[in-house]
Amino acid sequence: MITTRNLFKTYGSKSVLRDVSVQFPTGALTSLIGPNGAGKTTLLMMIARLLDPTRGDILLDGSSVAHMRSADYAKRVATLRQSPEFNLRLTVEELVAFGRFPYSRGALTPRDLRAIDEAIAFLSLDRLRRAYVDELSGGQRQMAFLAMTIAQQTDCLLLDEPLNNLDIKHAVQIMRALRRLCDEQGRTVILVVHDINFAACYSDHIVAMKDGAVRCAGAVSEVVTEDCLRELYGLDFEITHGERGRLCNYFNPPGELK
Amino acid sequence: MRAASQRMIWLTVIALAVFFLFFRSGLDFDYVIPKRLARLAAMILGGICIAWSSIAFQTLTGNRILTPAIMGYEAVYLLLQSLLVLAMGTQSLVALGANGNFFVSVLLMLGYSWILHRWLFRNGGQNVYFVLLVGLVLTMVIGTFTQFVQLKTSPGEFSILLGFTQASFGRAEPGQLLVSAALVAAVCLAGFRSLPTLDVILLGRDQAISLGVDHRRTVRLHLALIAVLVAVSTSLLGPTAFMGIFIANTAYAQARSRRHRITLPTGCAISVGIFILAQLAVEHVFNYKTTVGILVNLVCGGWFLATMARTRGTA
Repeated sequence: MITTRNLFKTYGSKSVLRDVSVQFPTGALTSLIGPNGAGKTTLLMMIARLLDPTRGDILLDGSSVAHMRSADYAKRVATLRQSPEFNLRLTVEELVAFGRFPYSRGALTPRDLRAIDEAIAFLSLDRLRRAYVDELSGGQRQMAFLAMTIAQQTDCLLLDEPLNNLDIKHAVQIMRALRRLCDEQGRTVILVVHDINFAACYSDHIVAMKDGAVRCAGAVSEVVTEDCLRELYGLDFEITHGERGRLCNYFNPPGELK
Repeated sequence: MRAASQRMIWLTVIALAVFFLFFRSGLDFDYVIPKRLARLAAMILGGICIAWSSIAFQTLTGNRILTPAIMGYEAVYLLLQSLLVLAMGTQSLVALGANGNFFVSVLLMLGYSWILHRWLFRNGGQNVYFVLLVGLVLTMVIGTFTQFVQLKTSPGEFSILLGFTQASFGRAEPGQLLVSAALVAAVCLAGFRSLPTLDVILLGRDQAISLGVDHRRTVRLHLALIAVLVAVSTSLLGPTAFMGIFIANTAYAQARSRRHRITLPTGCAISVGIFILAQLAVEHVFNYKTTVGILVNLVCGGWFLATMARTRGTA
């Protein structure tokens, strides 16, 4: 269980996060949603220890993460940032092998090789094993990076906008894979996502943020309501329930935008 | 395949070294060969220093068109030489002696990088581009200052200074070579264990931290090692400026990998080999009418372009 306690982040006089206390349930998929500049990525990066909080604490199973050794933390929490422009000549297999670094420190053991095979098989990337990462499409590349994160075999995965720039099919593939990680392997997944429908469809738990504070957090049915979303985005939402679940329609709200 | 081509490179380097030692030596073990051995040792040490420092620096900065020269080490070295000549005139060569000059240079460059790192990292990590910007500005400021000092020297003194601005394998003395060898060996021992960590740093800061690398500590350790290597190579050979760019990129292309356990040894072999070739050409073909630096850049540049063309731009 990851818990944050009275988390603040300020840059000079500008505060980006204000008093964030939130819990992320174990073994569940939690989405962080909210408009740009809400502090979602900042919160995620602090949990990943890529940013230091100005004040406050992050607890992993009750103990503060601030003083854990990097090498130990990497065996419990894995992070995937938006995959950057990538100009290294590496095969998918070599990239996934980096996921074993916290354990092997570069010298792969049979156990590491097994974990790499499993991660590649989990995302059905066998065909691309020997392909070079810089020659893959954006969607395939994101899958390859996700495989590296999975091979890290941590209880908790943090993902920063994993669907960014992906076509709809790859986006569905990624979300399904994350869902299976929770259901089949009991891992905790926390991700920042902008598509409210993906969040509503695949999450167990949603944390909605605005202006550096948590507006509402809870099960999907509690957060994905017309009132809550209108409040969050300043847009008029229509939520319909079809055979395949909830659908939030915000594409063409009536009247002028505020 | 990879192992075979690595072995080929090393065999070529060894063959070149033997050829360099004995070609037209008349097997004169009293004078010619000991002198050549000293030059060979300078080339091996310089080659290791330049290849290692450039490749590690490019990894830390995530940039393939940089060498540690951008941090201003060589500018400091040239300023020191200019000030020495200005203060003592041609007497400085005698007063300090070659060894004195070598040790003062090494200590000064180490001190410079210690102050620079202390200042740059005083409150946590800094953006790497900020560090480079500071280095570049310092290089230019110190360089301008050096030019100003050189205006005050006489033509005779200036020609001595010119000698210091060009890399050369001929001026190293046995004592300096021993100290350099000890320093380089210490760096290799300290750095070799953490080479897989450098591989992870190639993925970028965030991904490296997420994979359990103590990024700040690793960067500081390797910047310190680079400082030692640059101090040794600059004091031993003189400024090499951007020679390291060619050597590093040729090594990546040749190794067809970015793993440091492969690229660093390959880079060292390539640079030593090319230094020997260039020195042979300077001694036997051009009769000392050109400098090693020019030839090295010519050979490396040509080789790099050829590799690029052969592998269709994937170097």
